[in-house]
Amino acid sequence: MSLSGKFFKAKSQPSQGQQNQSNQTSQNQDNQQKDFLKESIQTNLDDNLTKLKNLLGNSSDVVSRTFILSGKRSIHLAVIYIDGLADSKSIQHFILESMMLKCEEKLQQSPRAEEFSIIKDFAITIGEIKTVNTWEDVSNSIMSGDSAVLIDGYAVAIITGTKGWQDRGVTEPTSQNIVRGPKDGFSETLRTNTALIRRRIRDVNLRVDSKNVGTVTKTDIAVMYIEGIADPEIVKEVHSRIDKINIDAILESGYIEELIQDETYTPFPTVYSTERPDVIIANILEGRVGIIVDGTPFALTVPAIFTEFFHASEDYYQRADFSTLVRILRLSSFLLTLLVPAAYIAVTTFHQEMLPTRLLISLAAAREGVPFPAIVEVLIMEITFEILREAGVRLPRAVGSAISIVGALVIGEAAVQAGLVSSAMVIVVSFTAITSFVIPSYNFTMAVRMLRFLYIGLAATFGLYGIILGLMALVLHMCSLRSFGVPYMESFGPFNKQDQKDSLFRLPMKKMLTRPKLIGTANNVRQTPVDQYEEKK
Amino acid sequence: MHQKVIISSSQFAILVLLNTIGTTILIVPAGLASEAKQDAWIPAILGVGLGLVVISLYNSLGGMFPQMTLVEYCEKILGKWMGITVSIGFIFFSFIGATTLIWLIGNFLVTQIMPESPVITIHAFFVLIVIMGVRLGLEPIARSAEIFLPWVGIFFLLLVLLPISDSNLENIQPMFDSEVKPILRGALSFLSVATLPLIIFHMIVPNGQRSKDTNKAFYLGSLIGGVVLISITLLTLLVLGPGLTARNLYPSFALAKKVGIKGVVERIEVIMAILWFITIYYKTSIYCYASIKGLAQLLSLKDYRILSLPFGMILLAVSLIVYPDVVYEAEWDVKTWIPFTATFGIILPAFLYLVAVIKKRKKAKN
Repeated sequence: MSLSGKFFKAKSQPSQGQQNQSNQTSQNQDNQQKDFLKESIQTNLDDNLTKLKNLLGNSSDVVSRTFILSGKRSIHLAVIYIDGLADSKSIQHFILESMMLKCEEKLQQSPRAEEFSIIKDFAITIGEIKTVNTWEDVSNSIMSGDSAVLIDGYAVAIITGTKGWQDRGVTEPTSQNIVRGPKDGFSETLRTNTALIRRRIRDVNLRVDSKNVGTVTKTDIAVMYIEGIADPEIVKEVHSRIDKINIDAILESGYIEELIQDETYTPFPTVYSTERPDVIIANILEGRVGIIVDGTPFALTVPAIFTEFFHASEDYYQRADFSTLVRILRLSSFLLTLLVPAAYIAVTTFHQEMLPTRLLISLAAAREGVPFPAIVEVLIMEITFEILREAGVRLPRAVGSAISIVGALVIGEAAVQAGLVSSAMVIVVSFTAITSFVIPSYNFTMAVRMLRFLYIGLAATFGLYGIILGLMALVLHMCSLRSFGVPYMESFGPFNKQDQKDSLFRLPMKKMLTRPKLIGTANNVRQTPVDQYEEKK
Repeated sequence: MHQKVIISSSQFAILVLLNTIGTTILIVPAGLASEAKQDAWIPAILGVGLGLVVISLYNSLGGMFPQMTLVEYCEKILGKWMGITVSIGFIFFSFIGATTLIWLIGNFLVTQIMPESPVITIHAFFVLIVIMGVRLGLEPIARSAEIFLPWVGIFFLLLVLLPISDSNLENIQPMFDSEVKPILRGALSFLSVATLPLIIFHMIVPNGQRSKDTNKAFYLGSLIGGVVLISITLLTLLVLGPGLTARNLYPSFALAKKVGIKGVVERIEVIMAILWFITIYYKTSIYCYASIKGLAQLLSLKDYRILSLPFGMILLAVSLIVYPDVVYEAEWDVKTWIPFTATFGIILPAFLYLVAVIKKRKKAKN
């Protein structure tokens, strides 16, 4: 744009012009800052400290402690860290104390050329240590809780690992409860989470690849998998998809999930998320890739397939036959949640002949006073229930009981008595409400909750024909989904005999000899058959 | 991570099976019973046997061009212009097949289940889902067929096992009392609905190449489908009797009305209709896929999906007028459909096969 053009535009739309200008200046600042970050540290300590102060803008949580060691010369040093992120105790003990009290003698005895290595290798008694020489590395390290030691006369900074902020600690996961099994859950700290996984997989091949995503938040992400089990193609794909992300902030693993999933326009999750370490470990052992994001207890695994969302970790800890039964129960609950309100509408409005005569009479009697057609009745109740559920989630705990009373009494009892809805409808809606909670994965439930309304609509227009064709469309859609190259309905369509051991059924452990066929391609064998082993003996 | 379109031979077999059953299960017992009366199950068996012979013709034809679709090898065998003409014939054939199926499902619903619904909405909804499937591609269609197969199996078993107590052996007696001619005619009508349209499966090349496995799958799918059809025919005869079977428009639906457990569930024929919907859906989808894919190959388009929406609209319009009424349909099914399918299902493939063999011999001599 030419200058005159800019001028006229600015005249006609002064506010926008100003905005442009201010945008430009802030961009200039940005660029300046970027250039500065690339610069190296200088040798003069005072210069360095002023520059750092400029960079961090006098923030009150930045602590910079300068002190002097007297060796062959008086050495000026500064320790810079962020209060709250760095563990001040370890800074005090292992940097300040050990330098000030123990190393002066040694410094005086040794030649001047050795003073840097004495400070670095002898005085600082902290495990994780490295030297950097650009401002970018220094600021990044400080921001992640490490402390930087600057020494006058040296153009490098010593970064010491002093991360130690307040953590919620390892507590029981709240979103997925189980009766039998480990009760620890992930926390908000990446290191704690990777440690929880590493603690249980003592294999040298467990890889933790670190990444940094988010131009402003610079969130740490760990990609975890077992080399030799995970499909290298999938690992590569995960890396490339995460590397492609260019966003300002990653606040939760949900961001990553949405940014790396194969298909955006689908109600179904194609990335598995959980806050249970044992689930992530089991998935990694099957050849999946885990993605752990700093700042959230929810970790992800890919590829995720349909059946996975119906598995709970407990299935593997309790008897196989019972687990199979429970899985069938879950899958039928999924279908019931999806279809019961729709089927009720279809049967009562289109196909009354299907009902036994007596049931039909009592249904008709119950619906006698209701002024609305079945579809309106269903919608009233379903929407009311969704509102109640949403209110229950966001509610302060103290008023929680109020909602249940209002929900149960006012909406349930009173609505029937007032003749707004029939009692059969209340049964249908509460039944679907309960079945929707049977599905172990919360984000899969959301898909069903949404789709239910679609089927209600279809049933009201086309009856069972609508439901069936809707179901076909749904299955087609699900069959077209892929998660990192693996078909979403894997083990059902494409049918895979080998994987039937652990999809709808859960065979006894002795029969679970292999990893999922399309996921753990690299190394498919899990165990040698136990019986064979005994025979050989 | 784009992967090549691959459907396995078992998926191919399932699609063939669903295509053999689709619509046939609904209408064929009536046609057979009107020809061969109480012996209607004999032409069914004969039809399945002849069907396998026809499949062997398809397999040897396909085996000569293992990597080509029907449209591609037509051009290869007959040269450019003749090939295109014949291909257009095949495309038209599968298009008409699709429209008649949609008409059938509309008619079935309006006469049997939802008499007050406007037929165009039923057609439109069905076409919508079919086109959705075609747009998603052959892979999702095949995979979803795998998922629905157990359901088809369950409903079929219910349909066969539950009314069995109502059967009456006298209904099929005297046995072997019919003359040869009606039996042959019955077998031909069976063949024309169940087997001959399967030629359009040559628009699909499973695994990128036809092999012994896919040939076996072709036989297997057609054979299992045949067994299903024989048992349904036999059962309608046993339960309803030849007279009622012949007079009923949809005898197996009448049979489904008998499905139930006394006092617990009765009159669940609508649930049984799921069996019809699923099988007819896959038959229509494959017809549509074949004609759209064929058209795209004729026009040498890279992606056939671009044709799917306009094709769907034409399909909807034609499906509403393809038959003016049921009487016309019944007449057309006997008088036109059989020669129509025979042309595309036997005569043309046999002709193509002959030309291909002669050409090959000539080449070998030279």
